[in-house]
Amino acid sequence: MSVPATLHVNGAVYEVELDPHTSLLDAARDVIGLTGSKEGCDDSECGACMMLLDGKPVNSCSYLALQADGRDVTTVEGLAKGDELTPLQRALLEHGGVQCGFCTPGMLISATALLRGNPDPSEEDVRIALSGNLCRCTGYDGIVRAVRSAARSSG
Amino acid sequence: MAVDTSAGTTFIRPDGREKVTGAGRYTADLASTGMAHAAFRYADHPHARILRIDTTKARALAGVVTVITQDDLPDVRFGGLVQDRTLFAKDVVRFEGEIVAGVAALTEAAAAEAARMIEVEYEPLPALTDFVAAMDADAPLVHADWASYERDEQMVADGNTISYATIVKGDADAAMAAADVVVKSRYESDASQGVPIEPRAVLAEWRGDQVTIWSSTQVPYAARSGVAQTLQIPEANVRVVVPLLGGGFGAKCDLHFEAQVAALARAARRPVRLVFSREEEFRAIAQRREGIVMEFETGATRDGRLVARRARLVLDKGAYCGEGGFLGQMAAMHACGPYVIDAISVESFLNYSNRQPSGSVRAPTAPQVCWGLEQHMDEVARELGIDPVELRRRTLIEKGAEGPTRQVFDEIGVKQTLERAVEMIGYERDLPEDEAIGVAVGWWPSGPAPSGAYIHLNGDGSGTIVTGAQENGSGAVMAMPAFVAEELGMEPENFTLLYQDTAAANWDMGSCGSQTTFNSGRAILAAATDVRGQLLDAAAAELEVDREDLELAEGRVRVKGSPDRSVSIADIAGAGTIHGKGSGDVPEVPTGDTGGCVGRLGSETFAAPQLITQAAHVKVDRATGVVRVLKVAAAHDSGIILNRMGADGQVTGGVVMGVGLALSEGTVFDDDGRQRNPHLLDYKLVTCSDAPEIEIDWVQIPAENAGPRGSKGVGEPPQVPTAAAIANAVAKVLGRRVRQLPMTPERVWAASAEVAS
Repeated sequence: MSVPATLHVNGAVYEVELDPHTSLLDAARDVIGLTGSKEGCDDSECGACMMLLDGKPVNSCSYLALQADGRDVTTVEGLAKGDELTPLQRALLEHGGVQCGFCTPGMLISATALLRGNPDPSEEDVRIALSGNLCRCTGYDGIVRAVRSAARSSG
Repeated sequence: MAVDTSAGTTFIRPDGREKVTGAGRYTADLASTGMAHAAFRYADHPHARILRIDTTKARALAGVVTVITQDDLPDVRFGGLVQDRTLFAKDVVRFEGEIVAGVAALTEAAAAEAARMIEVEYEPLPALTDFVAAMDADAPLVHADWASYERDEQMVADGNTISYATIVKGDADAAMAAADVVVKSRYESDASQGVPIEPRAVLAEWRGDQVTIWSSTQVPYAARSGVAQTLQIPEANVRVVVPLLGGGFGAKCDLHFEAQVAALARAARRPVRLVFSREEEFRAIAQRREGIVMEFETGATRDGRLVARRARLVLDKGAYCGEGGFLGQMAAMHACGPYVIDAISVESFLNYSNRQPSGSVRAPTAPQVCWGLEQHMDEVARELGIDPVELRRRTLIEKGAEGPTRQVFDEIGVKQTLERAVEMIGYERDLPEDEAIGVAVGWWPSGPAPSGAYIHLNGDGSGTIVTGAQENGSGAVMAMPAFVAEELGMEPENFTLLYQDTAAANWDMGSCGSQTTFNSGRAILAAATDVRGQLLDAAAAELEVDREDLELAEGRVRVKGSPDRSVSIADIAGAGTIHGKGSGDVPEVPTGDTGGCVGRLGSETFAAPQLITQAAHVKVDRATGVVRVLKVAAAHDSGIILNRMGADGQVTGGVVMGVGLALSEGTVFDDDGRQRNPHLLDYKLVTCSDAPEIEIDWVQIPAENAGPRGSKGVGEPPQVPTAAAIANAVAKVLGRRVRQLPMTPERVWAASAEVAS
């Protein structure tokens, strides 16, 4: 039984038909075709699926797509403006904060939300804000340095 | 030659932009027209005989395209040193993640439902879940008829013991008897997991009798040969492509599900995609870190000379061999460690059990054995009344020293790593009574292997590097354009990489064994040297000068001292065909006196050994057993470092994995051999807020008989001594040893309470 919904993702409007149990992650990946958000656990444990919902980070694997009906959704694909990377995206590359890249979409979403609310976070602020995003490659070091550097360059 | 990440320059990895914009495609992001979804039916018992499989009801479910079992496939066993497994269970299931049947259906939900509806009738058999009791005379056999399997002659095939390995030097019994001091210790490590954040995915599509398989593998060539072997088709008919790979850490080594998905796609006459859940990623892959029971005995003189070492190790192989048949001998080398010891007798048993198979996870066996041995070394130091760092100063190997099998070492920097780590951590300073610093030393071999590469120059002067190398995230492959550009006087941006495609490049071992820069890098540089020679020949003819008078710089071949007499590389490439190839000479494996050793599988000497000292500063809450790692100082000898940002990233990542191994990461098996914590909620990785400060230094000594430009491997050693350093610090605070890994709050508290009571 599908029901109609209107999803506003990265500034575009999508009229879709969804099974009520469809997660926001599956709607983005399988229905709209935006595969940037990743599924690492389907359990709100790893954070690879994070999106901004009305500016707040959510684990989209555990969020029903219908709950996002009519609300503003941003995925990792919606962060850069055209070809221009955000300071956070650039900093992540420059500081070695990207290795395999599978956690990167979620990290960027968490860090973007952090910097919008706290333009000059301490190291502890950053570490707490990112503690819902698991990374197995970097040991977090390059990621934390990147977020603080991006804060300084935008501030 | 080095990727310069200092002096104001920044190295941006070529795959970086697609990774930060979400445009990059991983295997699970791919889809193909008409694609069906795969699901597996797993064993319902850890050990049972299959009496009957009935797929009738599953086939009748709406949306189901095909259901297959081993009866639909060639009767072929695969595996590494022992060929002990079939793609789907044949007659007997031997662990909970064994695949009994596969389904392809139009939706994931239908596939999962059909897998549940397959009827399987079993006769349960006694499950062997204790890998030490596996050696008892009355233990049930995991492989009752494995005398008939094909296997390497070094594998013993004795009861449940798959391999028996010894490291023998001199007369350890006599030396032990003559020692001033003898210390004995016993340690036990639980099983643990690699846990790449990307779960496994495979997509297979046939065209005629050829199949293309996109897979999240670290070893596409091993996957190709495994598919060819098990489906009985030529390797030339199998193409394995790896899209972006979301980490591996060894967990994505070996043949894994590519052949089952290819078989499903052939039966379904459609493309078929498999995407694992996190739970399947825990239960079904045949690659976990092995549990080990370790007994060490060391004899020393009063002044700290190690005169004898005896050790007995028992390792949990799980149900199948896979690529992990070498684990026992590797563990035995780590029970010796990078020390000068007069006489050695180490024996190592690798035993089957009815549990998930173990295999290579980042420096397989080394972090656990190092955790035991380095605590044991601290116990020896305590017995001698010598500071643990001073004991290591007196006993670590150096140039000209003899290893456990009398390998004589070239210039190595292990003593320098010790001094640097101790200096960075501030070893001598006073600390609060609930804090302490522990130190541990480890080693790991580099892995000489063949590789091959091509470099094509295109008509516009751009170039394509074709390599079998596999990028697991480390950046090792990403640095290759910079190396080639330097060799050819061009810019890194002039080059693209064609990689992770078995149809494009020569065989390569893959992203394992810390080998990418070491071997693939050597091949790529050899191909660049070939291109360089062709450019010099062409320019020499055009400019009518000797090639010795020419140099390559700024995209041109020019006459030394007369830069206005030159020809552009683009003009040479456009006028003809410039393509180079190379493999380079594989470094020789060092020799030793290994005649007295049993079970020799290649780990008896260490080529271009990487050496590591790490020092950990920890804080222990005695009331709760919670250990917090405040800082780790990591000093490594990996030879000359060619890509500092990439190498540092391996250390920070490896150390944090090591903190997890030390404190929280352990797979819990129940009495039936089933995993009780196959989720990230109860198998705890280290989070950003728990990760310690990490300070890194590289002792850069050009390595002989090693990788390009005096380099060694980098990727695996960072995890080797981390848990050991933490353990030695915890023991200093508690005054007791925590003898089981991981050192969970409960175990630390128990050790602490033992002291208090």
